[in-house]
Amino acid sequence: MVEREIIRKTYSVCPKCLRRLTARYVRINGSVYMQKECPEHGEFCTVIWRGYMDMDDWTKNSGETADEGNPNCPNDCGLCSYHAQDTCCTLLEVTDRCNLNCRFCFADNGDSPDPTLEQIRLWLNKLAKPGKTLVQLSGGEPTVRDDLPQIVAAAKEAGCRYVQLNSNGIRLAEDEEYLEKLARAGLSFVFMQFDGTRDAIYQKLRGRRLLEIKQQAIENCAHYNIGVTLVPTLVPGVNTHNIGDILKFAIARSPMVRGVHFQPVSFLGRIPELPADYMRFTLDELLVSIEEQAGGLIKLKNIIPSRCNHPLCGFHGNFVVMPDNIVPLLHRERAGEGCCSPTTADKNRAFISRRWQRQPQGKGNPSCCCGKESDINSMEYFLRRVKTHGFTVTAMAFQDAGNIDLERLRWCSLHVFDRDRFVPFCSYYLSRWQKQWS
Amino acid sequence: MEEKRTLTCYRCNVDLKAQKTYFEYLGHSFHADVLRCPECGEVYISEGLAKGRIAEVEMQLEDK
Repeated sequence: MVEREIIRKTYSVCPKCLRRLTARYVRINGSVYMQKECPEHGEFCTVIWRGYMDMDDWTKNSGETADEGNPNCPNDCGLCSYHAQDTCCTLLEVTDRCNLNCRFCFADNGDSPDPTLEQIRLWLNKLAKPGKTLVQLSGGEPTVRDDLPQIVAAAKEAGCRYVQLNSNGIRLAEDEEYLEKLARAGLSFVFMQFDGTRDAIYQKLRGRRLLEIKQQAIENCAHYNIGVTLVPTLVPGVNTHNIGDILKFAIARSPMVRGVHFQPVSFLGRIPELPADYMRFTLDELLVSIEEQAGGLIKLKNIIPSRCNHPLCGFHGNFVVMPDNIVPLLHRERAGEGCCSPTTADKNRAFISRRWQRQPQGKGNPSCCCGKESDINSMEYFLRRVKTHGFTVTAMAFQDAGNIDLERLRWCSLHVFDRDRFVPFCSYYLSRWQKQWS
Repeated sequence: MEEKRTLTCYRCNVDLKAQKTYFEYLGHSFHADVLRCPECGEVYISEGLAKGRIAEVEMQLEDK
């Protein structure tokens, strides 16, 4: 017997025409689907949650979208009065060009002319809130620009507190002089595409063998004290079996590697084919895979639903890497305790930057990896170790035309800066699937 | 820790001594050498320690 229960109403779009639609979350035999119907293009049903964990327990207090919400959402999107979260990270595209041709790419870039350095400087001056902003330079592949060091410097001059580079790592591995210039210009940390620990994965997703290049990029960044967070795009049948090995690879390279930021595949921009449910990797699949594959290193109870964004949009775990193990700092049953609730974009930005940016090297900051003391219960040792060997396990599940939930969008804190507007990421890159069919 | 002055327990009238002391927060336990009365066990937490390392530990342990 099929058990069917409507658990939440929201708004979404038609994947074919992007018309705003009412949608509902329906639990069918334990799994949760988004169902919606376009008067022109018919019914759509997309898996949201497989049911390996209790979705209600995970999402807790997340509410429904009010009927009186912005009727133009997500079309003509920029931050509006209904948006519920401030900007944590501002993404700025500095080029459309790329030195890879990936099977999946949210940006689906081409080779249109790059904006000039002066144009980018103007944008940076507009987007920066001095002393606060975390800007993520993205693309395309930003390192195809020879003047990227000047762009990093311009971001710092504009007052950006942190400058993050979104990169595939190829030039960081192959051009150390370029990396040195980026470091001197004030680059804070790198978000590096890292899909797995086997070359077959890169061959399939990125069209070439890249593992050695990724390893070199990590070592080069370490040489200039730039923290690297590994960012795997998880595609069922390609690398979802490699999650545990990715985590072990990253932990073994702490403090060079600051964490792993998983991104289950979403069907934005360039996608190879029409998405079906078996091609998706839901957040609860990812969560149970981490625990199953990480060999006891990471437990589900130590991973917390996103509080800066909607709980269905991601999670975070906060750890300290020790010589022989990894110590969790967060416990889900205690989430929200302490004096600092609720989480704001400012707090989230401070948290991730604290973890992803490496400590300045020098006499005042002795590396504690070589010291005699290794008692994590010692307050002094803990405070040194957490700064040098803090490690995050995070995820962001981007939404696409099939599963976009406008209530989730309302809580988005990752904003793309474009034409003087801040636009929530999944709204900015939302693309009609029809393009891929025709 | 950083306390250098001699402090006396108001109750026992004996000098406080630096001793290993445990602190618990959000399910974690940490120890640090803190001035304590050898007779009654009363602990002295200086403002510097409370606003410095203890506050820093709390921030590191809290969920953002």
